[in-house]
Amino acid sequence: MRGVAPIIRIRLLSRVICCALAISALSAGHLYAQSPPPTDYQVKAAYLSNFGRFVEWTRRPFAPEEQSFNVCILGDDPFGPALDAAVAGESVHRLPLAARRISKVQDAAACRIVFLSSSESSAAKAVLPQLEAAGVLTVSDMSQFTRRGGVIELVLVGNKVRFEINLAAAERAGVTLSSELLKLAVAVRKAP
Amino acid sequence: MKPSWRFRPSALLLACVSVSLSPLPAQQPDPNQQAHLKGLTLAELGNIEVTTVSKSPVAVSRTAAAIYVITQEDIRRSGASSLPDALRLAPGVEVARIDGVKWAIGIRGFESRLSRDVLVLIDGRTVYSPLFHGVYWEVQDTLMEDIERIEVIRGPGGTIWGANAVNGVINIITRSAHDTQGGLVSAGGGNVDQAALGVRYGGTAGRAFQYRLYGKALTRAPEYHSDQRPFDDFRRAQGGGRADWTINSRDSLTVQGDFYDGRDGESALITVTSPPSSYILDQNGQLAGGNFLARWKRDLGAGSDLQIQTYYDRVSRQQPNQAEFRNTFDFDLTHHWKLSDRQVLIWGVGARISAGEIPQVVPTVVFDPTRRTDQLYSGFVQDEVEIARNRLSVTFGTKILRSSYTGLDMEPGARLLYTPSPTTTLWTGITRAVRTPSDIEDTLTTTALRTENPPSFTRTTGDRVFTAETMIGYEAGYRQLVKPALSLDLSLFFNRYDHLLSLEPGTPYFDTATAATIFPAVNRNGVFGSTGGLEIAANYKPRSWWRVQGSYAWLNMEMHTRPTSADTTTVASLQGSSPAHQILVQSYINLPGHLEFNQFFRSVSSLPAQHVDGYRTADLRMAWTRVPGLEFSITGHNLLQGHHAEFGGDPGPLVQIRRSVFLGVTWRQ
Repeated sequence: MRGVAPIIRIRLLSRVICCALAISALSAGHLYAQSPPPTDYQVKAAYLSNFGRFVEWTRRPFAPEEQSFNVCILGDDPFGPALDAAVAGESVHRLPLAARRISKVQDAAACRIVFLSSSESSAAKAVLPQLEAAGVLTVSDMSQFTRRGGVIELVLVGNKVRFEINLAAAERAGVTLSSELLKLAVAVRKAP
Repeated sequence: MKPSWRFRPSALLLACVSVSLSPLPAQQPDPNQQAHLKGLTLAELGNIEVTTVSKSPVAVSRTAAAIYVITQEDIRRSGASSLPDALRLAPGVEVARIDGVKWAIGIRGFESRLSRDVLVLIDGRTVYSPLFHGVYWEVQDTLMEDIERIEVIRGPGGTIWGANAVNGVINIITRSAHDTQGGLVSAGGGNVDQAALGVRYGGTAGRAFQYRLYGKALTRAPEYHSDQRPFDDFRRAQGGGRADWTINSRDSLTVQGDFYDGRDGESALITVTSPPSSYILDQNGQLAGGNFLARWKRDLGAGSDLQIQTYYDRVSRQQPNQAEFRNTFDFDLTHHWKLSDRQVLIWGVGARISAGEIPQVVPTVVFDPTRRTDQLYSGFVQDEVEIARNRLSVTFGTKILRSSYTGLDMEPGARLLYTPSPTTTLWTGITRAVRTPSDIEDTLTTTALRTENPPSFTRTTGDRVFTAETMIGYEAGYRQLVKPALSLDLSLFFNRYDHLLSLEPGTPYFDTATAATIFPAVNRNGVFGSTGGLEIAANYKPRSWWRVQGSYAWLNMEMHTRPTSADTTTVASLQGSSPAHQILVQSYINLPGHLEFNQFFRSVSSLPAQHVDGYRTADLRMAWTRVPGLEFSITGHNLLQGHHAEFGGDPGPLVQIRRSVFLGVTWRQ
């Protein structure tokens, strides 16, 4: 007897496990999972659509012919639809926000904010002076971006997205950052 | 032994986490979520917790080693209450419970209580005991909720991992103080883990300084004993803390420490010389210790950084047949130097001084001398060069090691990584690794009863002739992201070992002091051989609410005795102590009503040398989040049988591991 009872119990248990698996698989239609945390790029997109409110383009005032406030991605697009969703229906400096993908740095003249994709990491050194000359706010999540001369670097602090600022780079690009923005930065660099 | 890339802020490792967590790089952003984010201020955005799935495909293709990452989510959902329990989640790791206290763990063979060939680190601190170069798993612990991830590398991993990372590396990384803010209380009880309590509080002082303090306590019931000697109950308490300080944009400092104290039930075979006899002594051991670690990191810009780490570790063990008191000081410097976009040089130096006192408790277990200070000096250099952009890279380097047991040892290695597409990775590597001798081979003399009448003993003496064990490992791997929801990982290995420990019998003689015949034996390097095998793992997410992982590991050990050796036991013992086949299946399901339901199945083949039959068993866990932050759970471990044996080691019949049920509640704020 002693030998049989455990075997029956094992079978029963295996059956319970199998049933439980099957039931949970069947009830797919009624499932709702807890809303998963957003991806880092969803939050980064939200930052990009927000930064414009805290920046003055002192060297490059808004001209009447400027129809939209363009947030541009230079290089591979890591956002997918997240950036388009983030700018939809928003406006900054009384201009509607628009997301643009550009492949040449020359196209940046039509942009107010340029997000430099990590795919351009090796070209950053050459591209950044041109973006400064164009008077755009440069943002990126590539490592050492502010150190390399970019204005705002999005950084992961733990699993939260924060940002660092290079004030000297902002000055070179002719953009003035509000004190509110500076207060929220995890680091503010004043040297070049 | 100082891995350097584990400290690299780890786009790589961080991403590996998300790989194993969710093989879904193409996850579509939820438009509603974006709408919600739009309403937030900049300050609020900075406090949103994010996942970084977008980096995963890159990361998968960036590791030229058989690496597996156990995430915090995996640990939580498995209901693992100890580090070895959590290691059961990794494919190809041999984890067996000897009794309620002790564990035997191995990777790619050589599974034993001593786990000698695996390097284990907790937040950069090496936790193996210099006494036997193995890990006392029963005292390695932290708050399970504060673990960020456990990286398991099967195989020698890389040259920079160094000494005693022969068969694998287990790297346990806890979350930064920044990521463990707020309060946490977890409590529970069951038939085996009778009562468990964990408490943590994380706070902040200024924007750049965060800290946490934690405490935990556990009392555990004995496992099943067919001879009615339930010796292996266990009680322990541990506390500690960690502080992370971002000094400026370049410098950061981490200080952390832990201390623990516990009583564990042990059973030891005690031999006495007069009258010639041996008996089993069931007695509590007293295990205590603590550590303090400081790590300073400077960002040198352009992808380079410098890190200096130092720690102090104290161990105090009083057991029925031996005792150990040890103070270890360690210093490491690592420079991670990005020479160009295509080349990264990593080098480092380290020194470790370990002063141990091993007083005699019984006359048949004697370390001579009883006080000994061991020194270990090491350096490493590794160069990683990208030959064809995003496609082909080569890594080569060497570790140089000098220990007080042996002279200079070189551990060179080279690895090749080929990523023909973002979803396909092929890698291969060849590495030399050594395991240096330790006190138990060098200075330990043990005497065991052979026959009572006529009186005779076996006496094994460490005569300091034993030298380092060596290994040359050949590895290859293939990873494929078949589709966003399915990834596969295959690793093959062939390791050649030489100069493995053997026990060489000498000529018996009559000892007048004990009036008995002594059969002497000495430690030599008389065993050689090879291991070969493969591990295949799949990660599948058929639905947004269901994830399945499965793995199979095969191991074949072929050990031989040198012609000059008269050892008759080591080969069978090595070959028969690691499972040839292991199967793991894990299923994670999110049910309606904020319920999580997880199933774990494992099948382990027999261990003839341990007299352990193959077994199959399963764990189940159901958790319910009543309100955000409050979770109730019920976990069943080893459910398919009342009890089963996993490994030998205690005198008397095999201790059997019981079916267990645990009810828990966790509150986070």
